[in-house]
Amino acid sequence: MTQYDPVCGMEIEPQSAFAKREHMEQTFYFCSQSCVDQFDADPHRYMMTSATTGFNPQMTLTRIELPVSGLPLREHSTHLESTLRALDGVSEVKVNATANRLEVQYDAGKVDVSKLVGAVKSIGFQIGGANVKIGIENLRCASCVKFIEDELKSTQGVLSATVNIATQEATVDYLPQNTTLSQLNAAIETWGYKPRPATSDAPVDKQEEAHAKEYRKLMNKFWFAAAISVFVMITAYYQVVPVLRDWNMDSLRYLWGVTVLLTLPVMFWSGSDFFNGAWAAFKHRSANMNTLIALGTGAAWLYSTFAIMFPSVFPEGTSEPFYDVVAVVIALVVLGQALELRAKGQSSSAIKKLLGLQAKTARVIRDGKEMDLPVEEVLVGDVIQVRPGEKVPVDGVIVEGSSAVDESMLTGESLPASKKMGDEVIGATINKTGAFKFRTTKVGKDTALAQIVKMVQDAQNSKAPIARLADIISGYFVPIVMILAVWTFVIWFVIGPQPQFVYALVTSVTVLIIACPCALGLATPMSLMVGIGKGAEHGILIRSGEALQTARGIQIVVLDKTGTITKGKPELTDVVLSEQSSVDSDQLLRLAASVEKVSEHPLAQAIVEAAQAQKLEIAEVKDFEAIPGHGVSAKVEYKNILIGNLKLMNREKIALGSLEEQSKSLADDGKTPMFIALDGKAAGIIAVADTVKEDSAEAIKALQSLGIEVVMITGDNRRTAEAIARKVGVNKVLAEVLPEDKSNEVKKLQSTIVNRKSKIANVVAMVGDGINDAPALAQADVGLAIGTGADVAIEASDITLIKGSLKGVVTAIEVSRATMKNIYQNLVGAFFYNVLGIPVAMGLLFPFFGLLLSPMIAGAAMAFSSVTVVGNANRLRGFKPKFSVK
Amino acid sequence: MNTLQIFVILSGIVLTILIAWYFWFAPKAQTRVAVSASGAQEVAITVKGGYTPDVIVVQKGRPVRLTFTRQESVACSEQVLFPDFNKSSPLPEGEPTTIEFTPEKSGEFGFQCQMGMLRGKLIVE
Repeated sequence: MTQYDPVCGMEIEPQSAFAKREHMEQTFYFCSQSCVDQFDADPHRYMMTSATTGFNPQMTLTRIELPVSGLPLREHSTHLESTLRALDGVSEVKVNATANRLEVQYDAGKVDVSKLVGAVKSIGFQIGGANVKIGIENLRCASCVKFIEDELKSTQGVLSATVNIATQEATVDYLPQNTTLSQLNAAIETWGYKPRPATSDAPVDKQEEAHAKEYRKLMNKFWFAAAISVFVMITAYYQVVPVLRDWNMDSLRYLWGVTVLLTLPVMFWSGSDFFNGAWAAFKHRSANMNTLIALGTGAAWLYSTFAIMFPSVFPEGTSEPFYDVVAVVIALVVLGQALELRAKGQSSSAIKKLLGLQAKTARVIRDGKEMDLPVEEVLVGDVIQVRPGEKVPVDGVIVEGSSAVDESMLTGESLPASKKMGDEVIGATINKTGAFKFRTTKVGKDTALAQIVKMVQDAQNSKAPIARLADIISGYFVPIVMILAVWTFVIWFVIGPQPQFVYALVTSVTVLIIACPCALGLATPMSLMVGIGKGAEHGILIRSGEALQTARGIQIVVLDKTGTITKGKPELTDVVLSEQSSVDSDQLLRLAASVEKVSEHPLAQAIVEAAQAQKLEIAEVKDFEAIPGHGVSAKVEYKNILIGNLKLMNREKIALGSLEEQSKSLADDGKTPMFIALDGKAAGIIAVADTVKEDSAEAIKALQSLGIEVVMITGDNRRTAEAIARKVGVNKVLAEVLPEDKSNEVKKLQSTIVNRKSKIANVVAMVGDGINDAPALAQADVGLAIGTGADVAIEASDITLIKGSLKGVVTAIEVSRATMKNIYQNLVGAFFYNVLGIPVAMGLLFPFFGLLLSPMIAGAAMAFSSVTVVGNANRLRGFKPKFSVK
Repeated sequence: MNTLQIFVILSGIVLTILIAWYFWFAPKAQTRVAVSASGAQEVAITVKGGYTPDVIVVQKGRPVRLTFTRQESVACSEQVLFPDFNKSSPLPEGEPTTIEFTPEKSGEFGFQCQMGMLRGKLIVE
């Protein structure tokens, strides 16, 4: 029977073993002297680890708590309990569905954790343990895999463990409250292996790594091609090279023979991507940049080789090769690609910045114990402790403590937001002052940050309508260039000067090489990527390239009043006392707040909050009665108090005096006045109103200065609406609009003709809070939703302003205008480059100025035209909105 | 005009016609996707200098599951975009990456790499 060396884990036959030892009634076999020595030094150590369970045999009953996800159904819980009880050795099972915890008491001698876990999983539940990958250095012997696995499994708290010899990594599911990473590492060390951080877990951006690798590869290819180019150039311009110019044609031909061989690896290694790509494209009946480069350099190489092998076929003086074209063009284009790759990496920096915001670990409290877990392992429902200065790892709701949280990275809001029990916290924000605990509600790809990142990525890769034209052009571009190259050859051959063949070939090769479909194809996507990323940095999520393009031409901005211009929540604005009032204004507010505390009316909330803000003590209320359509009556501190509208006062026959006049002027200002009477006498008025956000007026002014017409839309009465409009400087008000008619109003604005002569529809943007405004947001050319990062109402909109400020609308338009300008620059540049470059390459200037482009210049121009496009797009990274959201 | 020149002109005409025919007018092979047991239309696409297969015919209203495997390190093809469906995905070299969506409209929708060098077409019927 095969045995295992307990020290190194090697598989050995007992009869061929190097040595044998008896220890505690067990026999051990060894492969070598060093293993025996190690065993003899501490035989008990190998005994310990050979046990199947790591539990103390004296303690027969073990209690374990397993976090189980998806426990809400009672009938399933009983099913789970009975399944576990059926296992031999399980003595007690408790299911705590609200905490998602399962408590099991079991005999460690009869059943182990992995069996319990298996049973739970077999009926469809998931065990929410932590999962970790640990790298193992120099893991070579396949048999050790099993030993390490067993060792890990027998460590207390480990649910399952697998070791992969190919990746040299152990993957362990464990209960973080029962074991720690260092215990797992110790288990690996007992087998003489050194644990290291897993490479597949290393927080390196995969794409970045791939780019770095590709960049190195391209640079190697470039340096090789460049070195060969130098040699090839010397042989090509032999007339000016001191020693070579004295050589005769035959010796030169031998030298060129060497360049034939040298340029081959340049073509098929340095330029392999062009030839492979060209062939793959050809098979797909398509052609791209690779086709052009491959054709150009291939034709040059074939001609040159033919010319030096059969010089007699060509007229005198035309049999000279141009391998220099082959080597130099490939070197330059490869260099261009490498530079382009480097520049591209910078373009996507916005996403990297966003991802970098993510916290790496979370301090989770499970089973009363605090433990640091990688953020990927945090479960929904976990309670997490956050100390001052730490990052909030995931999204959740505060259950204990309070603090100020800096949310500027997600919302652009520079003032820390104060958070108390019951308030939402967003992952990646920074806790400033206090410590708090929160219960997680969203983890992993559901967190606000993850969704923002995904949205930004999708938008960066979407298409602006303007790119469609470039797309159509590039679909026909390459074959057209090929046809142009053919006719360049034909024309030079038929009517060109001597030597016709050389001129014809050089010009057609130049045409193939100078044409750059890449610059055209890259123009839009590169700028979009930078522009949309730039928006995200300022708290503006642009959903697609189309939205970005449309936003540039916005002529009318429709602003929803409630929640967009205003805070969307009523606040106390005025306390007015009557002449005969027996109380002062604080007293009046205190009494009113005491009554309203009992009321459920939304306006009541504003009064209570105002009283609390002024630290007024709320009194006890008796005989509270709500009078529908009128107000409320109650008894506070032996006073009969009435709060309500004019109807209530008239019904109770209370003389109002000048109060009635004052209430009218308050209503004219868009406020809602409420009369208060104490013991049958008018005491005063308390007015509440939905107040305007601090920076709304400023933002509206900025929009108007951009030449945009601002319209306010609201369901409120005209008087209130106009009061608000006056305050913020909006001239056009659409009031008393039913929610379902909002989209119709937007439609009407879209069809209003600005200019009598041209019948171009208006580009209308609608700004709303996303929920009841959804149809209007969808109807508008650009729908901007004002919300927070956690809000899912983002869906209906084209652009989301994470921070609830109207200034975001201005910034969004600025970002859009800057990006579109950049795209135009790129497209126009790329277009003119080709439109001018190709005719010059064809030799159009030759009859007039005797000017011909060298294929090498063409190669350089082509390589750097696409680098220029990416570089210009990167200029956008320096974009700063003139009117930024502070 | 000598015979050689006439020959070159004629060759030019023939080449022009060949290029135009090959790249624009010749019918392309289409790959029809079968519906799998799970009800999704699954197809595996290799990315190497192009998409193989590159013209994919699917049915309307059924989920489409496209699994791309990139077998090259050239940075051009590192991302695949479906602009009409607002979908995109990075394609790490050698790792099968699945894109799933349900086409609700019939028509021809292009997919491509970021700069449009590699192109394919999804025909929804």
